[in-house]
Amino acid sequence: MATTEELYAVHEKRIRDAVALKTPDRVPVIPNGPAWPGRAMGVKISEIATNPPVSRKAIVDAYTGLGDIDGIQSPAYHVCTLSMMWLSKVKVPGRDLPDDELWQVDEAEIMKLEDYDAIVAEGFGPWLERYYKERLPGTLETFGAFAATIPDALALCRERGVVPFTPAVATIPYEYFCGGRSMKEFLLDLFRHGDKVQAAMDAALPVLIENMRGAIRGLGLMGLWIGGWRSAGEFVSPRLWNRFVFPYYKAMVEAALEEGAIPVLHFDADWTRDLERLREFPKGKCVLSLDGKTDIFKAKEVLGDHMCIMGDVHPGLLALGSPEEVTAYCTRLISEIGPAGFILSSGCDVPIDAKYENVKAMVEAVL
Amino acid sequence: MSTSPLAQALGDLEEDKAIVLVADKLAKGEPALAILEELQAGMNIVGERFESCEYYLSELIYAADIFKKAGAPLQEELKRSPQTSYGTLVLGTVKNDIHEFGKDIVATVMSSNGIKVIDLGVNVEPQAFVVAIKENKATLVGMSCLLTTVFDDMREAIQTIKDAGLRDQVTILIGGGPVDQATADYVGADHYCRTAQDGVIAAKNVLGVS
Repeated sequence: MATTEELYAVHEKRIRDAVALKTPDRVPVIPNGPAWPGRAMGVKISEIATNPPVSRKAIVDAYTGLGDIDGIQSPAYHVCTLSMMWLSKVKVPGRDLPDDELWQVDEAEIMKLEDYDAIVAEGFGPWLERYYKERLPGTLETFGAFAATIPDALALCRERGVVPFTPAVATIPYEYFCGGRSMKEFLLDLFRHGDKVQAAMDAALPVLIENMRGAIRGLGLMGLWIGGWRSAGEFVSPRLWNRFVFPYYKAMVEAALEEGAIPVLHFDADWTRDLERLREFPKGKCVLSLDGKTDIFKAKEVLGDHMCIMGDVHPGLLALGSPEEVTAYCTRLISEIGPAGFILSSGCDVPIDAKYENVKAMVEAVL
Repeated sequence: MSTSPLAQALGDLEEDKAIVLVADKLAKGEPALAILEELQAGMNIVGERFESCEYYLSELIYAADIFKKAGAPLQEELKRSPQTSYGTLVLGTVKNDIHEFGKDIVATVMSSNGIKVIDLGVNVEPQAFVVAIKENKATLVGMSCLLTTVFDDMREAIQTIKDAGLRDQVTILIGGGPVDQATADYVGADHYCRTAQDGVIAAKNVLGVS
């Protein structure tokens, strides 16, 4: 029987082969999401949200219990990461919501128009620290304590022979500002105050890249998310996207690659319009992870010979579908998107109310 | 029909120009309702450009904001007009979901297309939809969510409307991140709207607006 080290090596090779656009011995499967493991393991969502030792155990136990998975996208979770990244308040179960309900971002305009100038004047790092302290008190300290637990989550994965594929998240200034300003105000800023926004983005980018480099080195990451949510082409016209979105992703991807990490473009919402542009990233080095909104079959057509694709069993299918429907969709993905250069996964998170047999059917589709 | 300079300015997202043109028209004594119709014609241009992928959500939001700003000086006079909307939409994010953004976009875009919006906010109880439909004689209902966990709440809201005997008098539109046609079938809605503009088109069809 294989040792956990041997198993880990098999899983890692399978993933690296897929990223390099080779055909692995089987398509790797790497599920994602912290909330469903809570339900599956009978752990309260308030604990998943705020107690990293409890959440990592639930995440690793739930997903490894499904069968021979190759990895888990992130075995570490604390809800404060959403506030850190989106500069937003979050309603937390057990504090603002009933104990066993899912956390929700409480979108409001807590970053003001004048903050763009302040970022340029003060520097993004000092401004950000002040922002967290004044407008999201406690967030920085909570995140610091959570970050210190991430190595334990990585170790737990290793003990089980599964790869913690992307346990850190980086993103572009657009996503930070969009969260802090609220989406409507931010989109209006792009039209009415474009130069101010761009100056602040240009001040923020080097700091965000340095933070990302630090995370890759400090945690020895194999991969990380470079996330995109509201910067999807679905929301912004090409003129704005070319100015405020793509150049920043390009810089972050290049920096992650320089550090030897695999950038996983975790792109939620619909990115179909701009798939062609992703060919500008180096071949066989990145992963495009989709949530079911981008046309994954179009992505295969445009990028299949250039970039590994991951996804995209839709949350609606996992929540409302039958195991037979999940199996049929996964089989289609494996044959049409894979078998080379493909990683099977949930589209973004496995939703909290996914049926157990559906998540199991997804994993078993590759076995 | 030729496009008026005001409609064209809004269609082209020329904010300053649209505001000046409205002020000029008011100064000349043109009726507010006629100016409003020109602004709505501008939103039609925006809608067409959205449909042809020349514009995206970013432009829809900007255009709706220009519409609101340029149309602000008309409001006093419009309050005295007998009819300024094609119909009424009761809108809300369903119970147990507090996500606002998608719902707010729909409210903004619908309003700027001549549809009166009764915005019930987020985390809306099923009965609140019933009360609002009755009070406002609404023929359209819009429900939004970002969580798969509230599909059953959406279904319950629609069932409550049905139990109140109002189902036949309203067309129910749904949308939101995880929503698709299967969700619409599951909850018993009439239309799944992928975008806010899809909602405008569906609403105008229901109301017989060309």
